[in-house]
Amino acid sequence: MKPSLFQPRKIGEMAPASKIVLYAILLSWALFVIFPIYWLLITSVKTPAAVNEGPFFIPWVDFQPSLHAWQDLFVDDFADTFRAYANSIIISLIATGLSVLVGSMAAYSLSRIEFAPNLITILYFVALLVGACVAVGVYGANLWLTLAVVVAMFFLLARAVGRLYTVRLKNGDILFWIISQRILAPIVVVVPIYMMFQSVRMLDTHLAIILTYAVINLPIVVWLMYDFFNSIPRDLEESAQLDGATMIMTFREIVLPLSRTGLAATTLLVMIFSWNEYLFALFLSTTKAQTLPILVAAMNAGERGILWWTMSVAIIIMIIPVVALAVVLQKYISKGLLVGAVKG
Amino acid sequence: MNAPAVDMKASAKGISIQAMNKFYGGFHALKDLTLDVAPGEFLVLLGPSGCGKSTALRMIAGLESISTGTLTIGDQDATHVLPKYRDIAMVFQSYALYPHKTVGENIGFPLKVAKMPKPEMDATILAAAEQVELEELLDRLPSQLSGGQRQRVALARAIVRRPSVFLMDEPLSNLDAKLRGNMRAELKHMQNTLGITTVYVTHDQIEAMTLAHRVAIMKDGELQQLGTPKEVYSDPANLFVAGFMGSPPMNFVSGAIENGTFTGPGVSLPSNGIGDQTDVTLGFRPEDCTVVPTGAGHLDAQIFTLEMTGDQSLVTFRTGENSMVVKMPKDFDAMPGSDAGIAFDAASACFFDNATGQRLRSSG
Repeated sequence: MKPSLFQPRKIGEMAPASKIVLYAILLSWALFVIFPIYWLLITSVKTPAAVNEGPFFIPWVDFQPSLHAWQDLFVDDFADTFRAYANSIIISLIATGLSVLVGSMAAYSLSRIEFAPNLITILYFVALLVGACVAVGVYGANLWLTLAVVVAMFFLLARAVGRLYTVRLKNGDILFWIISQRILAPIVVVVPIYMMFQSVRMLDTHLAIILTYAVINLPIVVWLMYDFFNSIPRDLEESAQLDGATMIMTFREIVLPLSRTGLAATTLLVMIFSWNEYLFALFLSTTKAQTLPILVAAMNAGERGILWWTMSVAIIIMIIPVVALAVVLQKYISKGLLVGAVKG
Repeated sequence: MNAPAVDMKASAKGISIQAMNKFYGGFHALKDLTLDVAPGEFLVLLGPSGCGKSTALRMIAGLESISTGTLTIGDQDATHVLPKYRDIAMVFQSYALYPHKTVGENIGFPLKVAKMPKPEMDATILAAAEQVELEELLDRLPSQLSGGQRQRVALARAIVRRPSVFLMDEPLSNLDAKLRGNMRAELKHMQNTLGITTVYVTHDQIEAMTLAHRVAIMKDGELQQLGTPKEVYSDPANLFVAGFMGSPPMNFVSGAIENGTFTGPGVSLPSNGIGDQTDVTLGFRPEDCTVVPTGAGHLDAQIFTLEMTGDQSLVTFRTGENSMVVKMPKDFDAMPGSDAGIAFDAASACFFDNATGQRLRSSG
């Protein structure tokens, strides 16, 4: 049967001429995309002289490969490399786990429960906090006393204030507020965050970076998972409920298996963000908690000039886990388990 | 209206709804519903979309809270009881099959939740699957089934636990017409055999007529009439029920009653003992009348169209803005555009108060 005009055709069914053109286009695009990685690979096995003397691309013909850069990182500076690598893995794993756990729970409740907080009560709370900061910071009031007063004032008067004027927020407002935290440029908050961790003496610790990453990635998790949970028909959960399942059982037996795809995609995305993050790591770590991006950047600023060869090695070992992760999770992301859930 | 005599099975429980209301903010979705379902009865909630029938069903299930009023299942007050403690099973319009579980796992889910031992569970699943002829497909996923098969899985999942009440929310509306007819018969047979109290929601009056022991017709959140299919069809309580039941629905002519005679445009007939009233609607069923030569019937009108349905002919008349349908035998023939008379049995005619919509009954 002849395919219709707008129906995509399989490559195998095409005329030879268009097949050749198509493959040529695909091949040149693939080369274009893969070339930087190839360049990294060969630079990592070049001597400093070979790098500086000009663009050589073919090993054993243009230049003699040498493993000196690999030796630098893995033998001479092994402790530094290993620490940065381990830091990156620990920080991005825990931060990702934390933000996916908290974020998906927030997203699930946002998609299933109608919230209606009163804006006035929230503003009252914020005003109290600002007042407390001013009292402690400017007028030197006792911190604990101020805190006690603020907490007491909030709980005593919150209902009365809320009754004065009622502006109900909806789930959409809450969701937008959460996403707006991601729209905010990170550079705006990097100094306050630095000072905050400085004051609690947590600079250059894993925990500081983990908490920061978990928080900055939370909006993305909530946003993606909210859409995903919304696409799971409520009938399924209601049916499980009627069949006698508890809330936890419903979540474990029905919701979790069905959201595996979304969780995998979100995890991958957040993991890559954490793995590549530079700005916060630069501020929050010096040596002990240093991550891979900082290690790579440091090779740009040494006394010996830019160390292209060791930098290439560091970048290569940095992209390997991300590629591996993408390959592992790819089957979940493209699966689409929900097909056939509703009607035929 | 009395509940019909229904064979009482030991496990079946009755449902008693007293003055049940549902408010969504300022919207009054269900108004003072009072309804008793006898043990083992098949009750159909019938009405157009948005009439509150699904809300009522979801309130019985416990998926919606009950704003005011009480709900009793068996002899237990269930008004504020969690769904899982109500011992009910529900078939959803979407079937709500778990897409990641096989047919067997879907059917067995209520048993798994109830922590039934594995060998017993497998036997029970097989028995339920055999009842709906699915035993060959237990290892398939829902996405590999046809619409009718999915429907059967949903049914099997509902019956596997032997609940005391079945709730069904338009379970047949996603099937094609032929399959729907088959499933309707099977559903009725199954309910009859199992004897489980069933509340069934539909907007399809044929389903309601064929399946129900009793039909509850609803509109705008209010119960209009409760009775056997025969009662609601031949003895409608108001204009809405008369116009909703029957396909084609009842014919209406508005007019007034004076001195024991109904007079409308081109119509005049005795009012069967109903007192004088100015704003009245006369109603008669299409099958209660026949087409006769001009002047020989109760009213004359122009024939608008003639439709053959196979087993009968539907003759549509037009007088002014009114259209009326008469069911005639299949060999009936007439020229559209010509005039003819309509004769009907004056005793079977119904009169309604136009202002309130309520049926007018003779005081004598």
